[in-house]
Amino acid sequence: MGNWGFIGLAYGLAFVALVGYLIFLKRRLRGAREELAALEQESGRRTR
Amino acid sequence: MGRGALATRVLGGAAGLLLATGLYLGLVVAPPDAVQGDVQRIMYVHVPSIVTAYIAFFVVFCTSILYLWKRDLRFDALAVSSAEIGVVFTGITLATGMIWGKPTWGVWWTWDARLTLTAILFTIYAGYLMLRAFAEEPLAGARYGAVLAILGFLDIPLNHLAVYWWRTLHQPSSILRPGGPSVAPAMLLPLAVTFAGLALLSTYFLVERIRLERLRHRTAEVRLKRGRRG
Repeated sequence: MGNWGFIGLAYGLAFVALVGYLIFLKRRLRGAREELAALEQESGRRTR
Repeated sequence: MGRGALATRVLGGAAGLLLATGLYLGLVVAPPDAVQGDVQRIMYVHVPSIVTAYIAFFVVFCTSILYLWKRDLRFDALAVSSAEIGVVFTGITLATGMIWGKPTWGVWWTWDARLTLTAILFTIYAGYLMLRAFAEEPLAGARYGAVLAILGFLDIPLNHLAVYWWRTLHQPSSILRPGGPSVAPAMLLPLAVTFAGLALLSTYFLVERIRLERLRHRTAEVRLKRGRRG
């Protein structure tokens, strides 16, 4: 592998790590929002 | 869209813009290094990544002390969120350093003091995140985690000074050194721009990660209330 191959590998890996973390974070946020909404809806129904 | 969400989007957009500029400056504008050649361009992502990780761990260190002192869960939320970001950036530092090491030193990895201490730093805070994730009692997990985070931070000054205390393969600092940076301005600019981009990106991650922690706390509260009501 030439110098630019190593450079591409390093930058590519950093890009994948950052985008991967962003997707992972957004998925967890969506999951947490849905879980809370479902719980609150259920609690509201029980109170009524 | 609320003002908070808009501000977060602007933050993310500014980070993306700065990172694209840093990428252009580092890969196109900056000259190749006189000794290492083009492969030195890996430093434009490697160095800003570790500085970002150090800042993230400094936030963990301060907020862990504040949590142990005040017992306020907002400090704990900030600590656990920042630790996750620090681990991501330390991982990037280790990976890009290994990729740079192969054509420069001839090996992917060597048990040099700087490299070993960086790997230990990664392990300490990855361990911290595991402790937080698997703690059966969340408050005990927060307490033990804070102690681990404070002790783990001692690795950073040790890591910074390792290249001066021991004979290491890793070069001494070129930027954070007495007498100012020894890097040419044409090389300092992409480093500074990429660092600014990563600093904004990590702030964006932190805001979103704290949002997640708040949602989790709220969910736990609702569950607790429901449990009490039966």
